[in-house]
Amino acid sequence: MTVLRRWPQVLWLTVVWVLLWGTISVKIVLGGILVAAAVTALFPLPLLPRLPFRPWALLQLGGYLLVDLVVSGVQVAWEALRHGPRAQAGIVAVPLLTDSERITTFVAAATALTPGTVVLQIDRAGGRLYVYTLGLRRPDDAARVRRQMERLQERMVRTVGEGR
Amino acid sequence: MNGGTVTDVVSAVFLLLGALSCLLGALGLVRLPDLPARLQAATKPQTLGLLLILVGTAVRLDFENAATLVLVILFQAVTAPVISQIVARSAYRTGTLDRRALVVDELAERMEHEAREGGPAGRK
Repeated sequence: MTVLRRWPQVLWLTVVWVLLWGTISVKIVLGGILVAAAVTALFPLPLLPRLPFRPWALLQLGGYLLVDLVVSGVQVAWEALRHGPRAQAGIVAVPLLTDSERITTFVAAATALTPGTVVLQIDRAGGRLYVYTLGLRRPDDAARVRRQMERLQERMVRTVGEGR
Repeated sequence: MNGGTVTDVVSAVFLLLGALSCLLGALGLVRLPDLPARLQAATKPQTLGLLLILVGTAVRLDFENAATLVLVILFQAVTAPVISQIVARSAYRTGTLDRRALVVDELAERMEHEAREGGPAGRK
């Protein structure tokens, strides 16, 4: 039974179902499990090795992203107000620390979530991310972006990296 | 009574901060020079603003209803990066990006290098 092996997806969909109902009752939970199992069986996603679950690292990553969201939010706002139409930016090549596709995807998503940066291109063969960054003033600022991205990648690997 | 006042103040602070964040995003959208820069202003402060407004709303709601708001912010956080990434990439490739505003462009250096070598520009 492939649905049974996908139990995390069924569990997650059931949680979403219950949250959408807004109340919890036996009928709703059972209905949710039924719908989730049906969706999982009808639209199967590829089975990937399960992500490690490290609650503490996950919490730290969440906190880090939240702080980043606020800090860079202020920076983007400042850039828009202070420089406006003369705002400057740069595209920086950042070395990838991992060859895991999944972690690369997470890193790219986290980069896009923080204001001021977005991944333009992923060069997996060359092991590089090309990151657009708003608010660069001088070419030396590229080093700062590389350091930031390195820290983000380290955190990501610590949270969802495979193996120990 | 007193507890209600505290809730009101906390809620008001979050709502106002959220509104401020959205306002700053809107200003950036108007003032910044090119598509990728505007994209930063259009998507990210909006996400933060929505987060703050939802927190401000959640403290005033019953727990059951507040749980639904968690879904809203979760889906926003998951979908927004995908879209902004695709738009930014297209902007770079179609040249809607103002190259004069770039301090460094290490991607262009690489693409030029590849064009000289005759290799394909790296996809994906």
